[in-house]
Amino acid sequence: MKLRARWLLGTVPLAFLLVLLVAPAARLAMEGGQLPWSTPWQDAYLRWRIEWSLAQALVTCVGTLLLGVPVAWVLARFEFAGRSWVLHALMLPFVVPNLVAAMGVLALLGPQGVVQALGGAALDSGPWLLLYGNLFFNLCLVVRACTEALGQVSASRIAAARTLGATPWRVFWRVEWPAMAPWLLSALCLVFLYCASGFGLALVLGGQEYATVEVEIYTLVAHELELAQAAALALWMLGLTAGLALGYTALARGLAAPQRADTVPRRRPQGVGQWAAVAVALLVLALVCAAPLVAIVAKTLHAGAAAWGVLWEAGTLQALWNSLRFTLMAVGLATLLGLSHALAARRSTLLRALAFLPLVLSPVAVAFGLLLLYPQWTASLALLVGAYALLAYPFVAQSLAAGLDAMPRHLGQVARSLGASPWRVFWRVTLPLLRPALRRGMAFAAATAVGEFAVTLFLSRPEWATLTTRVYEYLGRPGAANRDAALVLACLLMALALLAFAVIESTNDAMKESTRRA
Amino acid sequence: MRPHFFAPWFAVLLACSAAHAAAGELRLLTHASFAVPQPLLAQFEKEAGVTLRITKSGDAGEMLNKLILTRANPVADVVFGIDNVLAAKALAAQVLAPLEGTAPASAEALAGALPDTLAPVDYGYVTLNYDKAWFAKRKLALPQSLDDLAQPAYAKLTVVQNPATSSPGHAFLLATIGALGEEQAFAWWGRMRANGLKVVKGWSEAYYTEFSHNGGSRPLVVSYATSPAAELFYAKTKLAEPPTGSLTLRGAVFRQVEGAGLVAGGRERAAALRFVRFLQSAPVQQALQTEMWMYPATRGVARAEALRHAPEPSRSDTPPAQAIADKGADWVRRWTQVVLK
Repeated sequence: MKLRARWLLGTVPLAFLLVLLVAPAARLAMEGGQLPWSTPWQDAYLRWRIEWSLAQALVTCVGTLLLGVPVAWVLARFEFAGRSWVLHALMLPFVVPNLVAAMGVLALLGPQGVVQALGGAALDSGPWLLLYGNLFFNLCLVVRACTEALGQVSASRIAAARTLGATPWRVFWRVEWPAMAPWLLSALCLVFLYCASGFGLALVLGGQEYATVEVEIYTLVAHELELAQAAALALWMLGLTAGLALGYTALARGLAAPQRADTVPRRRPQGVGQWAAVAVALLVLALVCAAPLVAIVAKTLHAGAAAWGVLWEAGTLQALWNSLRFTLMAVGLATLLGLSHALAARRSTLLRALAFLPLVLSPVAVAFGLLLLYPQWTASLALLVGAYALLAYPFVAQSLAAGLDAMPRHLGQVARSLGASPWRVFWRVTLPLLRPALRRGMAFAAATAVGEFAVTLFLSRPEWATLTTRVYEYLGRPGAANRDAALVLACLLMALALLAFAVIESTNDAMKESTRRA
Repeated sequence: MRPHFFAPWFAVLLACSAAHAAAGELRLLTHASFAVPQPLLAQFEKEAGVTLRITKSGDAGEMLNKLILTRANPVADVVFGIDNVLAAKALAAQVLAPLEGTAPASAEALAGALPDTLAPVDYGYVTLNYDKAWFAKRKLALPQSLDDLAQPAYAKLTVVQNPATSSPGHAFLLATIGALGEEQAFAWWGRMRANGLKVVKGWSEAYYTEFSHNGGSRPLVVSYATSPAAELFYAKTKLAEPPTGSLTLRGAVFRQVEGAGLVAGGRERAAALRFVRFLQSAPVQQALQTEMWMYPATRGVARAEALRHAPEPSRSDTPPAQAIADKGADWVRRWTQVVLK
């Protein structure tokens, strides 16, 4: 790809970032006037907030690493019934509204929960509940990325190592781990950024003592209009996390190695040990990711038939339609942006790090900045979809970047030497090879769009209410019927998302199957 | 790289520029809890000859701040949901235009609660709610005063919302100051902190994850006087009485009066005024009682049957409007200092 063409391609996502992200945030900072740069560090309370935000993000990274890698290895190496559904279901924590997820966690671990009833200790609140919430939410990022990476490790290299007498353990450290490292780093970077600017579930579970900086920024902007102080805080966080994102991309590029096309086939587990490994991996996922969701479904079923009446209300149908079309539009836009960005950023560390910007910049600051900068566009569909896509596209870009790094370069060169145009090479070689990464990115983008990241912060119109918005409307009123309606809608949302993930990723396996046969 | 690749981008650009925007459109800005039945809104649109574009924007405090930030280029023509806590801030920021014409008479008790630029639409009381089953099971007496709540017997039983992020939380803080005075009130908050007070971000978190009635561990939650009636209304099986109750402790009752007003610099002035009066009209006043669970502000509107289980507190601890205007923000900062830092 020529340098000029790449930069031309890069201008699209960069312009998008500039218009929808950087300019609004800058506008908000300008509104605030002189920034009190040093305040966040002089105020012991704010300093503790910053330190705590970074510390809990770090702990979550370690936790997801320790739990995620072994689970991913099992999922990548063994074939068993329902495996692909496990991979789809892993992303559900992204979809469930935070408050509902918190209700699920409490139904398990809370003061009136299952564990308590069985004689265990209840977790009322505090850092443990918050860290559990973080794991519940983020484990899927690491597991999915590593599963995909391990699925692409060269089978002949593993076979060679084994033939030369390496133990499976040694094969893992010397062959599989280096191949997986860039993907793992990419996922961990996302986990860290998510937790550091965390605004959702962890907060509901942890309580106000364990609030992150983002909550402070939200309070300063939305309720106190202390824009300068908020901007200073947001810029500090931006600086700290952007350093990390840059460091990661530099490291990832150094680690990246093109992979071979001969992937390791998954086999059915044999013997007690392998079945036990599968069982333990599924148990970890069940305890960390599935249990709260199962609790929600159980609560919903327990609610009785009357609660399901909400499904036939006109408002629900409209919300369903809105969820579908907004997700479709947002995923479409996010895919275009992510693809453009990843292709343009192939050889530029800086450009690649910029794809993290939507996760790093305070969403509250951006939401209010958009209002200030484009008042005539508030509550317009274009802005709404743009905002959804903005929060969703880093997943596509990151996933594709890892995929591009791992792509064998010579295949494209062969096609070129056989006379294919660059466009044809992209369409017939690059894109098919990228397909698994693209699908994973799109699935996460869809999960982000259906989920609530954008919902609560941007202006919304009643006729644009999504399922998530409706859930929150029901939970805004007292009464058992409202609670049950919210739970039913949350279940509907999960079912729908599961279906969407299956559709997005379905042809994945079928394709592999057909290429293998060919 | 050929130009084909950019083709999808042109489609996106076209789609974006196609969206927009309308004459004869009345823009309403309101908070997330706004609820008026669709047929009534449709009827208003027909009679006023405008299309109503409703924008919901977080909670009331957040909504007002959005209005203030965009006052040079208003995003709405009419606003609903500015209450007696926020009214002074709205006045100071000059985001409201004067209301013309004659207003329907408001309930006597509401006189002077809101400035002239805000037409009273509804009112309600922020109070402590308790879980009846929990107290019956533990055979613990209900607290008789705020002081009781700070006693060891009531340790770790109360959950409140952060006044910096929640309007009922803010109202509750103001009630404690209104009754006890600033110094006494913050001393009480300090004791509450030591006694295991739980603070959460907003009403939904408090009610649905911390309140023992919904699976949490705290049988006392800051909510509204009408919440028990709503519990009965939305019960799954017919109950004789609500499963929760409202306490009217001294220092824990805040009367919130919500108003509607015209946005300074907004368009469609006549329709906007008409919408304000529409909110004060009998059909809306009747409907809002069980839609938003507030009492009607217009005099002579019949009480909904469902509100029979929500007796109005006979008094409230609301501080004077001027004091809220002058010191409201300082109090929230001081609260953060005392309870969270």
